Amino acid sequence: MRVTLQEELDSLQADMLEEGDLVLRSLRGALNALRESDAELADEVIEFDDEVDRRYLAIEQGVEVLLARQTPVAVDLRLVLAMLHINLHLERMADYCVTIAKLTKLVADHDSEPGMIQAFEEMGSRGEEMIKVALDAFVDRDVERASSLVDLDELIDRANRRVVRHVLDLGPDPALSEWGLRMIVVSRCLERIGDHAVDIGEQVAYLVTGEFREFTDASHERQSSQ
Amino acid sequence: MPTDTMTTVMPIEIAQRSERTRLPTKLEPVFEISALSVSYGSTPAIREVTFDIGRNMVTAIIGPSGCGKSTFIRVLNRMNDLVPSARVSGKVLYHGEDLYRPRVDPVQVRRRIGMVFQKPNPFPKSIFDNVAWGLRVLGMKDDLKGRVERALEQAALWDDVKDRLKKSALGLSGGQQQRLCIARALAVEPDVLLMDEPASALDPIATSRIEDLMHELKQNYTIVVVTHNMQQAARVADMTAFFGIEVLPDKSRTGVLVEYDETQKIFTQPSDERTEGYVTGRFG
Repeated sequence: MRVTLQEELDSLQADMLEEGDLVLRSLRGALNALRESDAELADEVIEFDDEVDRRYLAIEQGVEVLLARQTPVAVDLRLVLAMLHINLHLERMADYCVTIAKLTKLVADHDSEPGMIQAFEEMGSRGEEMIKVALDAFVDRDVERASSLVDLDELIDRANRRVVRHVLDLGPDPALSEWGLRMIVVSRCLERIGDHAVDIGEQVAYLVTGEFREFTDASHERQSSQ
Repeated sequence: MPTDTMTTVMPIEIAQRSERTRLPTKLEPVFEISALSVSYGSTPAIREVTFDIGRNMVTAIIGPSGCGKSTFIRVLNRMNDLVPSARVSGKVLYHGEDLYRPRVDPVQVRRRIGMVFQKPNPFPKSIFDNVAWGLRVLGMKDDLKGRVERALEQAALWDDVKDRLKKSALGLSGGQQQRLCIARALAVEPDVLLMDEPASALDPIATSRIEDLMHELKQNYTIVVVTHNMQQAARVADMTAFFGIEVLPDKSRTGVLVEYDETQKIFTQPSDERTEGYVTGRFG
């Protein structure tokens, strides 16, 4: 039994799950700020990203040291490589939360639209669920749960398309159009968070099976989905 | 539990046989080993080993102490003949010919299938005489100088020793002595080079020279290397065979082939959990 290697792997996994919790808090904060048009809360979300980045860097450096000193192979190597990817996906998700917070500040004086807010709330809750499912699947090495992320993602994608249609229906008023464009970016950020959760699921499948395969292939619609 | 032990023993044989069909198509067998078992007196050393060793490849044999790695490669050039109590059963085909047929001359076998040992073992003679020794014994005396020079060149030792060929081989460093032993094996123009822990007594720089050498030599030779150093297997071998230890119902321990596959597969995605346990350092 390689005690040091196992301890380091365990500690990296724990750090990554904590990073996941930070991303969930960031996403919840961004959604609340958006709903309440709360610029102060949006600022907190932006500042909070430093926490995620610190965790991200610590994991990245931990992986580097582990590779250099422990030369993991087989399932250990796959775990380290999967963590390297998952770490990046989580950090990107947090960046999208920052973008949502920045856009919230830009539109804070605009009247919020209940329909739009509801769509974002729905997308955001889905996103939160997907992050939890992705991390649970990672902890349990559960490929089936990981591949269920594709269906959850489809729901976010649909909501995203609804937002786009809604914005197109706003008409030619330039002020409204500007607001609408910003809302499309918010929607796109939430949609991308879902995509990153699916990517984490793909890493879980790689970790378990040893073969990397995209659950869905963007260039060949849904053909390769499980 | 005897019955449990038997059930864990049985599937290996089945797995082994199916392995053969999964090997890379480019593998052109030099050795075809079938149901090979070796025992020393009543003590079994390896049991029912079946796999092919490919030409111009480095094949690594890895596994815990006592798994029969060294016994296995000694079978390949009939070195076990020198151990009176050794009993070999099963088949070892070398280029399609049964190595253990009565009329096969073990001396000729060892000429074609050379061996390099863990500890460099030069004779207390000059560098030149060490390499020329096998040539003289086998009557390969034409162009003796040329043959010695070529062997030393192939072993990446020529530049180190060309000005002191008459000096004692014992004055060389450990790494140089090991390359001298490789030159000695190569001088008689073998086809296969068996290496039993060839770098385990060497420092990292000398080790890396031996590993580079294996990489070069496989263009012209087939190399089978036993190593305790898994990273060495990962670095140098094309194919890797993992030998494990099975405990039989009568409590006797014997070496078995657990998994044989491309090295890359063994070190990224082994098929057998015992291989996984060994290469990740969790057992053995």
